[in-house]
Amino acid sequence: MKELHFKQIDEKMYHEKMDNGLDVYILPKKGFSKTFVTFTTKYGAIDNTFVPRGQTEPTNVPDGIAHFLEHKMFEKEEGDVFQKFSGFGAAANAFTSFTRTAYLFSATDHLYENTETLLNFVQEPYFTADTVEKEKGIIGQEITMYDDLPDWRLYFGTIDNMYHKHAAKIDIAGTIESIDKITAEHLYTCYETFYHPSNMLMFVVGSVQPEEMMAYIRENQSKKEFAEPSEIKRIFPDEPVEVAIKENTLYMDVQKPKVYVGLKAKETSLQGEEMLKHELAVQLTLELAFGRASDFYFNAYEKGWVDESYSFDFTLEKGFGFAIIGSDTSVPDDLTNAIKKELAKIEEKWPYGLSDLDRVRKKKIGFFLRALNSVEYIANQFTRYAFNDMDLFDAVPVLEKMTVADLQQAFETLQGESQQTVFSILPKKDKVKE
Amino acid sequence: MFQSIELKQGINLHIRKTDQFKTVNFSFKFKQALSEQAAAERSVLANVLLHSNEQYPSNPAFRSYLDELYGTAMYMDSSKRGNEHYVTLLAESVNDQYLSTGGVLDRVMNLLQVVLFKPNVENGVFKESIIKREKDSVIQRIESLYDDKTRYAQQRLVELLRPNHPASIGANGTIEFVQAITPTSLWEAYQKMLNEDELDIYVVGDIDEEQMTNTIKQAFPLESRTPLQKQQMEQQNSDSSDRSHVKETQDMKQGKLHIGFETPITFTHPDFPIMQITNGIFGGYPHAKLFMNVREKESMAYYVSSSFSSSYGLIFVLAGIDASKEEKAIRLIDEQLEALKKGEITQMEIDQTVAMLKNQLKEALDSARGQIEIFDQYKELGEPFKVENWFSKWSSVTKDDVQKMAKTIDKKMVYFLSGKEESSNEGAPL
Repeated sequence: MKELHFKQIDEKMYHEKMDNGLDVYILPKKGFSKTFVTFTTKYGAIDNTFVPRGQTEPTNVPDGIAHFLEHKMFEKEEGDVFQKFSGFGAAANAFTSFTRTAYLFSATDHLYENTETLLNFVQEPYFTADTVEKEKGIIGQEITMYDDLPDWRLYFGTIDNMYHKHAAKIDIAGTIESIDKITAEHLYTCYETFYHPSNMLMFVVGSVQPEEMMAYIRENQSKKEFAEPSEIKRIFPDEPVEVAIKENTLYMDVQKPKVYVGLKAKETSLQGEEMLKHELAVQLTLELAFGRASDFYFNAYEKGWVDESYSFDFTLEKGFGFAIIGSDTSVPDDLTNAIKKELAKIEEKWPYGLSDLDRVRKKKIGFFLRALNSVEYIANQFTRYAFNDMDLFDAVPVLEKMTVADLQQAFETLQGESQQTVFSILPKKDKVKE
Repeated sequence: MFQSIELKQGINLHIRKTDQFKTVNFSFKFKQALSEQAAAERSVLANVLLHSNEQYPSNPAFRSYLDELYGTAMYMDSSKRGNEHYVTLLAESVNDQYLSTGGVLDRVMNLLQVVLFKPNVENGVFKESIIKREKDSVIQRIESLYDDKTRYAQQRLVELLRPNHPASIGANGTIEFVQAITPTSLWEAYQKMLNEDELDIYVVGDIDEEQMTNTIKQAFPLESRTPLQKQQMEQQNSDSSDRSHVKETQDMKQGKLHIGFETPITFTHPDFPIMQITNGIFGGYPHAKLFMNVREKESMAYYVSSSFSSSYGLIFVLAGIDASKEEKAIRLIDEQLEALKKGEITQMEIDQTVAMLKNQLKEALDSARGQIEIFDQYKELGEPFKVENWFSKWSSVTKDDVQKMAKTIDKKMVYFLSGKEESSNEGAPL
C-alpha cells in the first residue's frame, strides 16, 4: 500500500494494485460519519463494438446494453441486492455514462458488510432469460421518462447533431427497440469482457481506517478466481472533425424554446497530464467568454435572451468531446447568433490577458478546494480522471502553471464553423401555427 | 452541534466550529408568514439584491469580484416551509489556510454586509431597470414548471388537494403578484425583511467563535423584532368519501400518476417518527413495498415511491407508468397501503427502514448545508437536536405502531397527467 500526501490541501490518500489488477484508492476524511464507496468499470455506452474476451473477431451489441447490464447486476438468484444494502443501512445506487459504469453506496454503519456486498454483487453475475425479459418493462419506462424531459432531449439532440458514427450519439439507455434485442448471452459477453478487475477501480472515501480497509479488500479479492488480465480491444469508427448536422429542431410540449450551440472537439486523443491541461484550458476559456462575469453573459441577460437555465460546459473523453452553450430563451435565433458572434470574435483576435486568466484561475482553484468537501465528487471525479491517466490532485498545480498561450492554443481546437451545431426545442403550439 | 446566542430579540446566531470542511459557510435565514404576495415580492427582492450593489453597481463587476475571492459562492434563495417563507442569503468561501492570498474570509463578510445593506439604489428605491429584469426572471422560473412534467403534475395535485393553502403556494408566488411589483412595493418588502423578519444566522467552519460573534454583531447591527408566532395550519381533513380523480393531458409519452393522501400526523406530532417509518416501508426506499411490488415484481415503473410532507400532513405517491396501465397501477398501489393497514409488516422491513433513516440523518450532517438545514428545522420542536434521540425514537417502533399509523393514511386524490389521445381536451393552462 502506497501513501500519497497532499500537503497543500491537507489530505492523504492510499493506493494499492491488487494481484488481480484491481486498483484500490482510500482517502480518509476527518470529521465525516459516512463512507462513500464506488466500484467502477471502464465500460460505458460508447463501448458497443469490441472483441469479446477469448475471441478474435469484433462484435456489435445492441444500444443501451451497458446500462441494461448495470440494472441487471442488482438482481441475484436469492433476490434484490437493495434489500441487503437496506439491512445494513446503506444507500446504494449505480449509474452508466458514456465511458463508465459505477456501482456505489454510502453508509454510516456496517462499512465492511456493505463493502463486501458491493464487491460481491458486482463480481457475481446472474442473468437469466426471465430476469432479462422482466427488466425490459422497467427500462422501457425509464427511456419513456427521458423522452419527456426537454433538457435531456436538448443535450442528447445536440450530441447527436455532432457525430456521424461515434457511439456518443446513441442514447445511453438505448431505445425501446434496441433493448428488446438484448439477451442474457449478450450480458455475459459484455460482463466477461469489461468487468475484469484489471479494468476496474474502487474508491473509498470518508470515515475509513485505510490499513484495515485495504486488508479487507485484499482478502476478499484473494479468495476469488479471475482469468488472466488481457487487453480489451474496443473498436471506434473514424469520425470526421465536422459536425454531422448543422442545425436541427425538435417540437415538444414546452412553454419556452430551448437552444444549445455545440462545438465539436478536434483534439480527442490526449491522455494524462496533457489531457488535464488541455481540458482545464478549455474550461477556463469558456469561463472567460461565457461565464457569469463575461460581457457576453451580461449583454445576453440584460437583453432577456437568456434566463436562469443558462449554462455552458465542456466534456472530454478519449475519442470524443464537445462544448455546449445555451439556455431557455424566447429568442433562440438571437441567442444563437450572439454565441456564434462571440466565438468569431475570439477566433479573429484573442481578447484575454493575464489578469483575466488570474481571475478565472482563482475561481477554478476555489472550485476544486470546495469540491473536496464532497466525498461523492472526490470518488466520481478521481475515477474519471484515473481512467484517462490523469490525477485529480494534479488539477490545482496544473492550474497554477497555466499560461494565456495555453488557453489560446487549447481553444483553437474548438474553433471553426464546421465544428459548430445548433439544436433547438420549440413549443409544439408554434409548429401548429406554421 | 451549534452554539446559539440571541443577538437581539428575534435574531439568533448559531456557530459551529469544525475542521471537517475546507470552507466557511454562512447562511442568513429571513423568515416571515407565507403568502402568495410575500413569496412573489421576496423572490424578486432576492434576485435584485444579488444583481448588484452600491459597491459593485454592475452584475459583471460583482461576479468578477466573487471570482477573485477564489470563486466564493454567494446566492439568495427563496423557499418555504410550512406556512413560512424564507429568504436565505448563502455564502461559501475557501478557508484562508488553503489559499496563497489571505484575507478572503474578511472580504466575504464585508461583501455579505454590502449585499444586505447597500443595495443599488436610485431615488431612494431599487433601480427600475433591474427590477424589471428580475421580475422577468422570476416569471420565467414560475413558467418553467410546465416544462418539467413531474414537478408540474405534483403542483397540480397539491393545488387540487389543498387550494388556497400554504401547501399549494409556490415559493416564488404567482405571475400576477410578480407583475404587480413596483419599485415602492419592493422597497417596502426589503425594509420589512430587514426590520421585521425573524432572522437566524448560521456560520460553519474552522473559525474563531468569539471573534466571529463580535464581527457579526458589528457588521449586522439589526434591531430587535418580534419572533414569528407559530400559526396552526388549517388541517382541512375532509370527509373520506370525498375522493376525486382528475385526469389532464399534455403532449407527452409517459403517464405521470400522482396520488395524494392525508394524515393527521405532522412534524410536531409525537407520532412523527412512527410515520417516517411507515412511509419508509410504504415507498420511501428501494426495499419498500411500492418499489418491490410495482417496479420489481410487476415491471410497471422505473420510479415509484412515496414521500411524507410532514409540514402539511400529506403523503404523496409518484409513479411514471405506461398511460394504458393507470388502473392497474392504482390498484397495485392501493394494495400496498392495504397490506400495511392489515399489519402485513415484517420485522425486517422495520429494521431496514430504521437503518436507512439513521443513515440518512447522519449522512446529511456530513455537509455544512445539511447541518444548517437540519438544525434549523428541528429547533422548531423546542428540544435540543440530538441524533441519538431520533435513533432511539425509531428503534422503539413496533409492527403495531406502524399498522396503527397506516390506518390514519387516507387516500384523497388521484391526479393523472398523460399524453393526448385523439381529440381529447387540451391540457390545463398554467
